[in-house]
Amino acid sequence: MTKGKLRDLSFFLSPMVLMVFLFYLVPLVMTIYISMTRMRNWNVDRYLTEFVGLYNYERLFYMFQHDPTFKAVILTTVVFVGITLMINVFGGLALALATFFINERPASSYRLLWLLPRMSPIAVYSLVWYYFFHGSEIGTLNSILMSLGLISEPIPWGQVTPWGAWSVIIFVNGLVGVSFGMIVFTSALNQIPKELVIAARVDGASSWQISRRILIPMIKWHLLYVLTWQFLSLLTTYPHLFLLVQWDLVNRDYGTTLALYVFNTAFGRGEQDQGLAAAAAVILSIIGILGGFVTLKVLKFERMMKKPRGDF
Amino acid sequence: MRAAALWLIALVIFGVIASGCIGGEEAKTSQADVQLTGDITKDLVEIGKVLEQNGVNEVKFSAWGSGDPNSVMRVYGIVEAARRINKIWADNGINVKIVITETHYVASFQDAYKEYLSKQPLGQAGDFFVNSYAFLPTLADEGYILDITDYAKAYQSVIDDFYPSMIEASKYDGKLYGLPQDTEARPLYIRKDVAQKIGFDLNGLDEKVKKGEFTWSDVYYWAKKAKDEGAAEWGLIHRKGSAHPDLIQFIFAFGGKLYDPNTGKLVVDVPAVYKWLYVEWKFARGGLLPEDIMSWDWAKQIHPAIVEGRALFDIGGTWYWTEWQTKQYYAKGGTPRGLKPEEVRDWFYYTLFPAGEKGDKPVTLSQPFVWMINSKAGQLNPKYDELKDVYHKLAFLMLIKASDPDINAIHSVISAHLPVRKEAAKLIKDEKWLNDLKALNLDLSDDVKNNIRDIVQATVNPINAQFLANVSYMLEYTHLAPAHPKYPALADIFKEAVDKVLRGEMTPEEAVNYIIQKVNADPELKENVEIQGEIPKDWKFPQG
Repeated sequence: MTKGKLRDLSFFLSPMVLMVFLFYLVPLVMTIYISMTRMRNWNVDRYLTEFVGLYNYERLFYMFQHDPTFKAVILTTVVFVGITLMINVFGGLALALATFFINERPASSYRLLWLLPRMSPIAVYSLVWYYFFHGSEIGTLNSILMSLGLISEPIPWGQVTPWGAWSVIIFVNGLVGVSFGMIVFTSALNQIPKELVIAARVDGASSWQISRRILIPMIKWHLLYVLTWQFLSLLTTYPHLFLLVQWDLVNRDYGTTLALYVFNTAFGRGEQDQGLAAAAAVILSIIGILGGFVTLKVLKFERMMKKPRGDF
Repeated sequence: MRAAALWLIALVIFGVIASGCIGGEEAKTSQADVQLTGDITKDLVEIGKVLEQNGVNEVKFSAWGSGDPNSVMRVYGIVEAARRINKIWADNGINVKIVITETHYVASFQDAYKEYLSKQPLGQAGDFFVNSYAFLPTLADEGYILDITDYAKAYQSVIDDFYPSMIEASKYDGKLYGLPQDTEARPLYIRKDVAQKIGFDLNGLDEKVKKGEFTWSDVYYWAKKAKDEGAAEWGLIHRKGSAHPDLIQFIFAFGGKLYDPNTGKLVVDVPAVYKWLYVEWKFARGGLLPEDIMSWDWAKQIHPAIVEGRALFDIGGTWYWTEWQTKQYYAKGGTPRGLKPEEVRDWFYYTLFPAGEKGDKPVTLSQPFVWMINSKAGQLNPKYDELKDVYHKLAFLMLIKASDPDINAIHSVISAHLPVRKEAAKLIKDEKWLNDLKALNLDLSDDVKNNIRDIVQATVNPINAQFLANVSYMLEYTHLAPAHPKYPALADIFKEAVDKVLRGEMTPEEAVNYIIQKVNADPELKENVEIQGEIPKDWKFPQG
C-alpha cells in the first residue's frame, strides 16, 4: 500500500476508528477492569483501586452451581433469545412477503400497524400488556376468556413457570422486534426486479414458489444481517422485561435474562454491586461475540464480503 | 518556522500564567470556625455573620424525599426550616438568605435511594435526603452522608426529646448520621361489619391481643368462619411485593429474630420462618388469602378489597387511615371515591399484630424515615472548600429547625405517621392547635401552605387525630428490621419464598430449604447470615 493511499485511508476511516475506540473499546476495557474490582454503590473513589482478581467470576460460577434463580436466569436467556429471535426473523420475513404480494396502500397501512409497538413509549407499551396479561380478573385476557365461559378462574399467565412467564416475555418482545426484520426485508424485496416475479407468474408459479425459489434466495444476505443484529440485540435487551418483572406480572426467576440480571445487579437493588454486574456483563459480551461469530461462520458471511469481480 | 512555533508556545504559556495573576489577588477567607453552643439563634447568627463576612449572601440547598402523597412535609419541612432561619437572620440584621433550589419528591423510596446512590458520587444528589433508616448503614459506610455526632452533642436537649428507639435507628456503628423524621405502626385492621355478621365480638379484643391471648390461630379461625359463612370474599389481605416490612412481623410474632447483635450478622431463624410460611400456606390453601396476592395491584385490587369490606382482616400501616380518605379506592356506588373519616372510624377496628401462638407476644414494626445530610452538602455554594464546615453546621441546624415540634406534628396528622418527638406527640392532642392547622392559621410559609392545603382539608379532623393518639401505644411493641447492608437481599429471598408457598409451588418445609439454599448460594450473603435452629417437628396450625 502506498503512503498516499494509507494517508487517504486514515483520513476517511479515522472518525469511525475513533468512535469504535471511544464507545466500544474503552467501555469494554473498563467493564473488564471493573469486573476485577469490588466496585459497589457507585463509590468510584473507594473501590476503583481495590483489585480482587477473578473473585467476581468465582462468585458467579458458585451461584451458577448452587443458586436455582441463577440457573433459571441462564435457561431463560437461552429460551428467550432463541425463540424471540426466530419470531423476529421469520415473523419479519413472513410480514414482508405477505405485504409484497398485496397492493401498496393496504400493505403500507398494515406495515405501519406493526411499527406501533416500536413507536410506543416503553412504559406505556409495557403497561398495556401488564393489564392484558394480569393474572386476575382485572386482566383483559382473563376477563375475555371468563366472559366467553372458556375458563372459570383467572389464570396467572406470567406466574406459570416456566412456560407461562417465557410466553409473556417472548410475546411482548417479539411484537416489538418483528418490525425491524419487516422493514429490512421489505426494502430488500423492493429492490428485486419486478420482471423476475412477473415472469414466474406467467410460468404459473404460486406465491409460495416465488417466495421460496426467487425472493428468499435473493435476500439471503439481509436475512443474515437481521439474524445477527437481532441476536445481539436480544441478548442485551432488558427494558420491557425490567418493567414486567418489576410490576410482578411475570415470575422474577423465569422473566429475568442475563442482561436484566446485569442491570438489576448494577443499578436495580438496594445493594448495587457493579463489580459482580460487570463480571456478568463480560460473560454476556463473550457469549455475544461467540454467538455472532458462529452465526456469521455458519451462514458463510465471508462470501458476501469477498471482492466483487468487476474492474478494479 | 521553528522559531515562530517557539514564540507561539512561549506566548501561550505567558498568557496562561498571566491570566492566573491578573486580578488574581487571592480572595481572603475570614475566620470560618463556628462552635455550636446549643442556642440555635446564637449559633445561626454566628454562622450568618461568618457567611456575610465572606461575601456569601445566598446559600443554596436542595431537599430530596419520597413517600405517599400525604407525606410531602418530608421535603417541605426543610423549606419551612429555611424560612424560619431566614427570619432569624433578618431579625438580627444579617444579610444572608437560604434558598431551597429543589424539592425533589418521588413516590417510591427505593427508587429515590437508587437515584441518590448513583448521583451522590457525581455531586448531583440533594443536600438533604429523607429516606428509610434501612438505607442509612450503606450510605454511612460509603461516606455519602454526614456524621453529625459531634454537632448533636451541643443539641442534646433536642436529641433527648426524640424517642430513644428513633435515635438508635438513626445511628450506625455508634455514630449519629441523621435525625428521625417520622415513624409508623402496622396494625391489624378488622372490618367491624364483617365481624358482626359472624358473631366476632371485638369488645376488648386489643387487650386480649396485648396479653397474647388472641393469636394467629384465632385470626385463622375467624377468617375461615367469615369465608365459610359468606360474610367476606377473603379472610385476610396483606401486602404485595417485598416481604419487608409488613410480613417480616411474622418472624417477631413467632418469637424469632432477624439479627444477632453479638456477631453483627443477619439471622434466618428457621423455626420462626417455618411457622410464618406455614401460616401463609395454610391461609392460601383454605382460600382465605389470595394465592397470587404478591402480584396483586395496590390501587385496583388490594385497597379496594379492604375498603369495600371484601375481607375480614388486613395487615396494613397507620398511613392507610388517611390514604383511604384521600385516594379513591371505594367504588361500590359506581363512582370511585375516598372514604369519609367517619366511615374509616366506623368500619375499621385496629389492634397490634397478634402473637404467633400462645406464649408469644404481639408486635408491630416501624420503619422510621430519617433526615440525612449529604456529605457534600452545600458544595455548589461560594467558597465551599474554605467554608465547608460552616455549610455543614448550617445544614445540621436546618435539620434541628425542620424537627420543630409543630412541623413534625403537622406531618404526623396529615400523613397518619407517628410523631418522633414527645413535644410533637403532645401537640397533636391539642384541639386548638388542630383547629388552627385545619384553618392553616399557623406560622408557615405560603409555599408550604399552598402545597399542603388540599391534604390538610382532607385529613385534619378530630377523628384522625384520635386515631394517631390511639395507636401511639403500639410503639411500645415495635420492632425494627435490622439496619444491615445485606438485609434487603435477605428480605427479597423471603418474598420469593412467601410467593411460592402462597401459590402452592412449595410446601413450607421446601420453602425454608429454598431460603437456606439461596443464602448459601451467594458467598457474600452466606458470610453475613447465620442459619439458626431447625424446622419444628409435629408443629400444628391452627392450635387450640
